[in-house]
Amino acid sequence: MTYRLRLLAILHLALSLCILSVTSCDRSSSTVHSPVKLRFWNGFTGPDGRTMLALVKQFNESNPDIYVTMQRMDWGLYYNKLFVAGIGGRAPEVFVVHADSLARFTRANFVRPVDDLVGKNGIVDPSDFDENVWHATERDGKHWAVPLDIHLLGMFYNRAMFRKAGIVDAKGEPKPPTNREEFIDDLRKLKGINGPDSWGFVYTWQRTNVYTAIRQNGGDMFNADHTKTTINSPQNVEALQWCADLVLKEKLAPAPQDFDAWVGFLQGKVGIAFEGIYMLPDLRKQDGKLDYAAAPVPLLFKQPAAWANSHSLCLRANLSGPELEAAKRFVKFLSDHTLDWAAAGQIPVRKSLRASERFQHMNEQREFAKEIPYAAYFPAVPYNFEYMTEYEYGIEKALRGSQTPQQALDSAAVKITRIMNRFNGDSGATP
Amino acid sequence: MRKWSPVEILVFLVALACIIPVALIFLTAFKPDSEIIQFNGFFPHEWTLTHFREVLGRPEEIPIFRWLFNSVFISSSVTLLVLTVDSMAAYALSRLNLRGGKWIFAIILATMMVPGQILLVPVYLILSKLHWLDTPWALIVPAGAGAFGVFLLHQFFKGIPRELEEAAMIDGCSSWEIYWRIMLPLSKPALATLAIFTFIGSWNSFTEPLVFLDSVENYTLPVGIALFQSSYANEYGLTLAASVICTLPIIVIFLLFHKHIIKGIATAGLKE
Amino acid sequence: MTRGRRRSAWNYLFLAPYLSIFLVFLVIPLLFGLWISFQEYELARKAGDVPQFIGLRNYNDALHDDYFWKALWVTTKFVIFSVPITIISALLISVGIESIRGKREQAYRVAIFLPTMITISVAGILWRWFYNSEFGVFNAILPVKVPWLLTPNWAMTSTIIMTLWWTVGGPVVILLAGLKQIPEAYYEAASIDGAVGWRKFFFVTLPLLRNVLLFVTVISVIGAWQIFGQPFIMTAGGPERGTLVLVLYIYAQAFNNFHMGYGAAMSWLLFLIIVVFSVIQFRVMRER
Repeated sequence: MTYRLRLLAILHLALSLCILSVTSCDRSSSTVHSPVKLRFWNGFTGPDGRTMLALVKQFNESNPDIYVTMQRMDWGLYYNKLFVAGIGGRAPEVFVVHADSLARFTRANFVRPVDDLVGKNGIVDPSDFDENVWHATERDGKHWAVPLDIHLLGMFYNRAMFRKAGIVDAKGEPKPPTNREEFIDDLRKLKGINGPDSWGFVYTWQRTNVYTAIRQNGGDMFNADHTKTTINSPQNVEALQWCADLVLKEKLAPAPQDFDAWVGFLQGKVGIAFEGIYMLPDLRKQDGKLDYAAAPVPLLFKQPAAWANSHSLCLRANLSGPELEAAKRFVKFLSDHTLDWAAAGQIPVRKSLRASERFQHMNEQREFAKEIPYAAYFPAVPYNFEYMTEYEYGIEKALRGSQTPQQALDSAAVKITRIMNRFNGDSGATP
Repeated sequence: MRKWSPVEILVFLVALACIIPVALIFLTAFKPDSEIIQFNGFFPHEWTLTHFREVLGRPEEIPIFRWLFNSVFISSSVTLLVLTVDSMAAYALSRLNLRGGKWIFAIILATMMVPGQILLVPVYLILSKLHWLDTPWALIVPAGAGAFGVFLLHQFFKGIPRELEEAAMIDGCSSWEIYWRIMLPLSKPALATLAIFTFIGSWNSFTEPLVFLDSVENYTLPVGIALFQSSYANEYGLTLAASVICTLPIIVIFLLFHKHIIKGIATAGLKE
Repeated sequence: MTRGRRRSAWNYLFLAPYLSIFLVFLVIPLLFGLWISFQEYELARKAGDVPQFIGLRNYNDALHDDYFWKALWVTTKFVIFSVPITIISALLISVGIESIRGKREQAYRVAIFLPTMITISVAGILWRWFYNSEFGVFNAILPVKVPWLLTPNWAMTSTIIMTLWWTVGGPVVILLAGLKQIPEAYYEAASIDGAVGWRKFFFVTLPLLRNVLLFVTVISVIGAWQIFGQPFIMTAGGPERGTLVLVLYIYAQAFNNFHMGYGAAMSWLLFLIIVVFSVIQFRVMRER
């Protein structure tokens, strides 16, 4: 071989050895006297991730005997990697799971119940939480996680467009709709107000928008004990029909465009969008070019409901000794600091924090928090990812008009039943 | 200057269509967010470095240099490994008259038909048993199993005249010495081709690192960037700046070695 | 004397490094994958459960899974449209470049090969932005608003266009090298017979390029069956599963839902399809 090639090879070997020695050094340095190391995994990749990183840094600085390293990746990939790590025995000590995804992880036995850690003198006091929120992390009579926040679906509306369309109250302030009649009426007025491709409403995240309609209409995905899917119940079909009619019959919303729809709202071409509170940083980034405000989702059906979910702090199964003590302190720290966290576009779950002066100044969060009493969580089943795929496929077909809501939900029901059978069959018992 | 024939004008337009998207990565990365959201021409009206500052200034959040390092390390390791083991195997199979050598070669060749996807699940489970998941080894060692290099070098070695080897043998050279002193130096073009192929293949591979790596700091550039995309879906400026950092080294390498790269690919294609 | 030495067991040591990797990461996984495909191999099983042997049930499930058929159909569509478009474009481009001599020829080759050097995530992100219906480049330039990634058929078309841009460079370069190997004398002979332009192309270039063309086509077809990165990044398989290709579906079943056995079984089915396709192609094109 030529001299150059050989030199390259030698350099490369040297590099490899360096890396090897660095990695082995890493292992040997975890001696008794060094701080307790905690790995903290989550899916906070956007601006919320920046806030969380700052909190972790603050914790590390004020707790020199503990060192937390945070790793995050996009939620979709995160769940997959977290699960795999859990199976391979590499699960992190502390990790975040959405309340509706918890069942999958408790079923695989790698979450530690927190019942013995909470209470009047524990890391958090359950009575400081709204009952429905606290209940969302409960399963098989045990509590599996400490809810960090609640992100509800709410209504963002473009104040400039409302003014232009004359949707104002007596004082001339833009007036968001509160019921179905006002909503439809406003959509008619808003359509085309900012050019031919401007709309009153768009479906941004279909999954949450339609679920809100379903729950407002008294429907849900499964029966109470999760033995049977009710996805094609008359209430659900009716709710989905209404959602689809808005696009196909009334022409009051454009054909679903997923993500671009949200960009449309940012561009000022859309009057109303139902989105999660976590979109707040994105709105703020528009530097005052977009005049927006927040309000609860209007009452479109029989009863108030708004989709919600909670980031919940979980501990690894069998966590004990100094690591458990460190993890307890860390979870308590995060829970105590949820107002900082909420500033990034979240709503604190602790009632005491929501009563604070500081929270009263968070306008959008305060508006959305009104929905907490009727927060609608997706049912927590261990096959949540699988059934969600079918549900989304079904509503997508209906909103695009390629199938009727009845057909779409019927075929989703068949698929979901098969998924449930498969899940219940191979584990031998109904979970 | 020669006149441009109509054919050349067409070719020129096609070439332009190929380059413009690449150029747009670079140009748009310097646009402020508002200009990205409302497309207003290829060149930025207002040049800004904000996106680069953000991407480079947050190593804790976006470990882009870590990813670059991982990519370089993994791709060059794979290249080195493939060159070494493939050339040895190809030499043995083409020159040493091993008993059963024909069969072994035939089996190796047959596996060229095997699509990588079919191996994904079992290799994943094997790596997990070896505790290699989430380490560079998961991407380096399995990449050495490909049959292409053995095939390519086998064909090349076959074309080297026997006389040189026989002369060396009379001088008392061992087969190792023949391999090292005669075969390798004579097959530099083929080795270069293989090296280029392997490096590019490894650099651009996406599925394997996506599946085999868990920790963000162990990612390679392509996976890192993809992750970035799903998280910063609205921040095209950031994503494009990251893409520039990711793509620039490869483009520089390509422009420097384009003759070798293109020739390598051409010879590989003709070595049928 | 040399025979004996050549056959010494020691020579097998040359093979040892490659063969051991080959065994552990190719042969064994292949058989292991086949074994897994006969099992209910769930990564997300309840603690304590072990994989169960279930015979051909995974294969049977796949054949009764309309999403599998849908994915197969989507992938077939991609192969049927993408490969001919790519190969014919590559052929035309290479013939075009071949007719140009000198420095500029080199420049065109570099330009057309450049996209191939871009890694799929960057390429996918880039094109996703081009295609964006609200602020994408295409819709900003075009007078009409095209729903690039928003309807199943358009999303497939967009994927094919993007793939053409991304992959046409390889075939162009290989075909160009093939063109250069055709001796000038053949063309001269054809000219004497009165052949010009297109006739030359069809009666001289194409037949002499057959082997190279076959190679390029087979490689492209094998690659096209395995398409993954483009839809993974640009569309995530949507809309309405319109770009949910086989490998993406296998990935989702094996690594999102952790049905490893099912994923392995579908991989084997894909493998069979590729083998059958390649054999047919060799037969058809060799016979011509």
